[in-house]
Amino acid sequence: MTRAAMRVDPDAVRRAVESVADPELPAVTIGMLGMVHDVEVADDGTVRVELLPTFSGCPATEMIERDVVTALHAVAGVVDVRVRFRYDPPWTPDRIDATGRERLREFGIAPPGFSPGAHPSGGPTGATRPEGRPTLPLAIGPDSDPRPCPYCGSDTTVRESNFGPTPCRDLRFCESCQQPFEAFKTF
Amino acid sequence: MTSLDATMALPDLTTPRARLLLVLGDDELVSGHRASHWTGVAPSLEEDLAFSTIAQDEINHADVWYQVLLGEDHPDVRAGVDALGLGREPDAYLHAIVCERPPNDFAYTLARHWAYDRFDVVRLAALADSSDAAIAAVARKLLHEERYHLEHADHWFGRLADGGDDARQRLRDALARVLPEALGLFEPFDGEDTAVAEGLLPVSHADLRVRWSEIVAGMLGEAGMGDLLPAAEATTPDEASGGRRGHHSTDFTDDVWPEMTELYRAHPGARW
Repeated sequence: MTRAAMRVDPDAVRRAVESVADPELPAVTIGMLGMVHDVEVADDGTVRVELLPTFSGCPATEMIERDVVTALHAVAGVVDVRVRFRYDPPWTPDRIDATGRERLREFGIAPPGFSPGAHPSGGPTGATRPEGRPTLPLAIGPDSDPRPCPYCGSDTTVRESNFGPTPCRDLRFCESCQQPFEAFKTF
Repeated sequence: MTSLDATMALPDLTTPRARLLLVLGDDELVSGHRASHWTGVAPSLEEDLAFSTIAQDEINHADVWYQVLLGEDHPDVRAGVDALGLGREPDAYLHAIVCERPPNDFAYTLARHWAYDRFDVVRLAALADSSDAAIAAVARKLLHEERYHLEHADHWFGRLADGGDDARQRLRDALARVLPEALGLFEPFDGEDTAVAEGLLPVSHADLRVRWSEIVAGMLGEAGMGDLLPAAEATTPDEASGGRRGHHSTDFTDDVWPEMTELYRAHPGARW
């Protein structure tokens, strides 16, 4: 097939971009996270992708850029790929779609804005609440952003630190099932 | 790519807009490097994570400001950012001297963390209304992220202020060292008048000082340490003054700068 005859399917391009997995949260794609702002396919086979970084300091952005380029070169007719990160509009957690929220929860990360009634409580661990767990000395105090436990659904959780394994996650503890868990930060 | 190529790719760094962006980036870069000095040696695992994350955040915020300076059409953004962050001589950095001070003890670190992040948030809030669309967008984005630093800083301020005599005394001693030097954050950079007049920086550093002072005065007062607030007419002590014009102490020229630029100078144009 000649290049002139090769027409790039814009839907295939969009699907390829949206299905790129987050390198640090492989259970979710950048499409589910709402990071894809715009995808534009030019007649000459050049694809321009605009992405919204969840966190400006996210070290995964360069990997995501590489993965988007790789994914798009697998789409028939794509000749060149330009990826750009932009800050306007700012990414906010309400861009995470329902599937993304559920995948995060299954992954053990409490999604932002997840209402306690949205999934059955007393979930998979079935643990009863043990008594006498000492309070960690560095608990951050009254929580302005409470999250239900992603494992058992209990609302009896505390935020133990504002800072977790990646810039976009913090550390929590479930008093009910005694599991530490992470939460996706609210911005 | 050689360092010469990377340097040649840099835009004019003497315009008011470029100087503003260097001030913003350099404050964050040097604060981030000093925060990273707690990695592995902080007093608790949680604080190790906290300061390591803050370091990562601040250094990346510097990266973003440098990207705004380079502009969207820059041919090699990574090389350009490295040239700005790591390729300048010490006297081309425009951060305030208080940012380059060593972490000292944990009380000093927390006092500076509080004073600096209280300042950072006030300045970002002003920049959210910048006449420059790129600057305003980044400021709004970073403002969301800084909330986590601010909560951490305020939490520790309150904890030490409500703590025992030893904790209070250590906080007092640290604030007494930090607050006068923090006035250097509010000194104008060359070209600031133009940047303010054009709306790039909607509120001058001098006026930001007034806003910052009101906030820290309230918190110091509640903690019974209102006497530590620098007087409105106080100026920066000589040894902490001049950072905005590229004057730095040996804490920067002989310590932070050689450390953070060592790899870049040894391997010009290194990529990682």
